[in-house]
Amino acid sequence: MTRRAGMIAIALLLVILGGGFVYLRVLTRRAKLESPEHGEEGARTQLREAALQSNTGALQTITLYFPSDDDGQLQSESRQIAWATSDTDRIRQVMLALIEGSYKGLRRPLPPTTELRAVFLTPDGTAYLDFSSNALAVFAPGIQSETLAIYSIVNSLAANIPSVLRVKILVQGQEVETLNGHADLGEIFVPDLTRNQPASP
Amino acid sequence: MTQLIHPLRRHSRVLFILMPILGLALMFWPARTLRSDNFVFYLPDASHVLPLQTIGSASYLPLLQVLNTVGRVQGLTVAKDSLKVWFNDSQIELRQDNKRVRFNKEKINLSEPVRVQSGQFMVPLNFLETVLPRLIHESVVYRLGSRRIFIGDVKPGTFSFRLDQVPNGSRLTLEFSDKIKIRTASSNGKWVLYLGNKPVQPLEQKFNFQDPYLSNIQFDDQDGVPKLILTPTVDGLNFYPKIDDTGKIVTAELLKAQAAVAQQPAPPPPPQAPGAGTPSAVAPAPPETAASAGGLGLPMVVLDAGHGGDDSGARGGNGLLEKDLMAQLVARVRSTLLASGKYRVVLTRVGDVNLTLDQRAATANAARAKVFVTFHAGNLGVHTSRIVVYTLEAPSWPPSAGDAQVSGLFIPWGTVQLSQLRRSQQLARILQKEFTAISGATVSPPATAPLRELRSVNAAAVAVEIGSLAAEVDSTALTNSNFQAGIANAIVRALDEYEGGPS
Repeated sequence: MTRRAGMIAIALLLVILGGGFVYLRVLTRRAKLESPEHGEEGARTQLREAALQSNTGALQTITLYFPSDDDGQLQSESRQIAWATSDTDRIRQVMLALIEGSYKGLRRPLPPTTELRAVFLTPDGTAYLDFSSNALAVFAPGIQSETLAIYSIVNSLAANIPSVLRVKILVQGQEVETLNGHADLGEIFVPDLTRNQPASP
Repeated sequence: MTQLIHPLRRHSRVLFILMPILGLALMFWPARTLRSDNFVFYLPDASHVLPLQTIGSASYLPLLQVLNTVGRVQGLTVAKDSLKVWFNDSQIELRQDNKRVRFNKEKINLSEPVRVQSGQFMVPLNFLETVLPRLIHESVVYRLGSRRIFIGDVKPGTFSFRLDQVPNGSRLTLEFSDKIKIRTASSNGKWVLYLGNKPVQPLEQKFNFQDPYLSNIQFDDQDGVPKLILTPTVDGLNFYPKIDDTGKIVTAELLKAQAAVAQQPAPPPPPQAPGAGTPSAVAPAPPETAASAGGLGLPMVVLDAGHGGDDSGARGGNGLLEKDLMAQLVARVRSTLLASGKYRVVLTRVGDVNLTLDQRAATANAARAKVFVTFHAGNLGVHTSRIVVYTLEAPSWPPSAGDAQVSGLFIPWGTVQLSQLRRSQQLARILQKEFTAISGATVSPPATAPLRELRSVNAAAVAVEIGSLAAEVDSTALTNSNFQAGIANAIVRALDEYEGGPS
C-alpha cells in the first residue's frame, strides 16, 4: 500500500466514524423526542408515587364538591384521607379524589381516565393544573357539565387548601380555548361559592 | 504507525471540514428517504389506501401490499436480494436494485430499480402501468403523476371548475360528469367540500386561478374520500354551497358576512301563522341561505346552531347528535321569527359546517345584531326536556377583567360582551319566564357560565341549553316538534317583550 493510499484510507475511516457518531446522536435525540407516551407515562407514575408517598400524613377530613344531578349546583361530600404535607401534593390528592368520583352517587366532574400531568402552585396563590388531552377528549361536552367540572375543581381545591386562591387549567402544557367547546379555559378561575348548594341541616 | 499518523496530521484541516459535512448529510438523509404519502386504489367494491414512499427522487409502493389489494398472492419465495411471486397463474421475479422484472418468461424494464426497505420489496409507480395490467387481466386506469388508480369496472367521475366574481364575494361553479352528493366541513380556517363516496379523477392536477377571496383549491383523496379543500384569503367569509336539481352542478358562494345580510331576498313564505299558539307538527325545511332580510329597519336576530361539521357536540343514547338537533331547532326558530314579520334573521352556520367560536361572534357583530342566541344541548341530569338560559360569567381574575372597558377607542375582542351584560341578563330573565310556559319542560333559573362564544358578541347574547342529551338518557323528547315549536314561540314572545318589543 502506498503512503497516499494509506492516508486516504485513514481519512475515509475517520469520516465514516465521525459521521456515524453524529448520526447516532441524532437518532437517540429523535427517539427521545418521539416517545411522548413514555414521557407522559413517566409523569403519571411520578404523580401517583408522589401521592402515595405523601399518604403518610395525619388523617384529615376534606370537603369535595361534586355536580349534583339536577339543579346545576355543586353538592359537598366529606372524605377522610391521609393528608400530605406539601400544598402541591395536597392539590394532587384532591384531584385524584375528584377523578375517583363520588361515594354518594353524585355526578362525576371528570372522566375516570383523566390524567393530571403536572401541578404547580405559584407564590401568589394560582394553582396550575395540566391535564392530558386524551382524557378530556372523552369529556361529555355541554355548557353546564363543563362549568360544573371547572367549579368542582376550583371550589374543592380552595375549600381544602387555603393557599389556593385561583386555578388555571392547561391541557398538554398549553393554554387551550375551551374545555370541550364551551367553557373558556383562557380564564383564571376564582372560587364561586354561589355554585355550592347550601348544606342540608 | 508514525508513518500513518504523519499524513493524518498534514491533512487534519481537510478532515476537519469534511467530517461535519458528512455528519450533516447523514443527519438529513433519513428525513428525506422516510418522507411518506398515500396512494389510493379504487376497486369496484371499495377503495384502499397504501403508503407511498419516496426513495431518492422516485415514489415507491410496497409490492406485496399492492398485489394483496388487487388480488391474492398465491405463493412467494424470498431469497437474499430477490423475490419470486405467484399471482393469478403468473409468476414475477424481481431483484433488489435492478430495473428488470421477469414476468413469466418476458422481461420488463421499470423506470426505477426495485428497492428493499425494512424487508419490503418496493416497486416504482411505473410498475402500475407496465406490469400490473398484465398480472390482473383487468382494465387499469392510471394517470402518470397522479396518486390514484382505478381498477376493473370503476369509472371515475370528473369535473370542471369556474370562478366568477359576484358583488362582495366569489362564486365557484363545479360541473360534474356524474350525480354527486356534497357535504361540507370546516377545519383550520379552510372549507372542505366532500364529493360523495364515488371515485373522482380531477381533470387537472393543480387548479390555477386568481381570486381575491380564494387563495387555493386543492383536490384530495389521500384518505380514500374525494374532497376539495378551499383556502379563503380572509377570515369571516360565509360559504354557501348548493347543488342544482340535476345533482351535477355545485355552486358555492363565498360572501362577506356583512354583505350577505344586505344581499338576501325577502323571506320565504311563512310555514305557520304568525305567533301561532298551536305548534306545527312538521319541522320546517332547513334554510337555503344564511341570512334573511325582512325589511332593513327591523331588528336583527342572529341565531347560532352549536357545533357542526366534524364537531358533533354531545351524543344521545339513541345516536342523536347535538349538531343535527341544534340545526333542526334553529331552523324552526328562524321560521317562527320570520313568520312574525317583526325581525330579520341571520344564521351563523348553514349546513353541516364547523365554524370557530370567533367566526360565530364575528357574524353577529358584522350583522349588527340586536340579539344573539346560541343553541346547545348537553347532559342536564336524568330528567329530560330541561332548558337553561345562560349569560356570560364576567371573568373574575385579574380583578379589573370583569369591568367593561368601553372608555378607550378600541375594545379588546375578548371583552366586547361585558358592555352588553345588563341587556343580556334582561333578555335571559324574559326568556326563562317565557320558557316556563312550555308544557312538560323544566326551566332552571337564568345562570352564568364562562362561555367562550359569548365573550366577543356585541349584542344582547344568551346561550340556550336543552337537555338532557347524553348517552345514558333517552333524549327523544328533545326532537318532539311540540317541544321545539314551544321554544320557538317562546323566543318570539320574549323578543317582543325585550326592551319594549321589536321596534
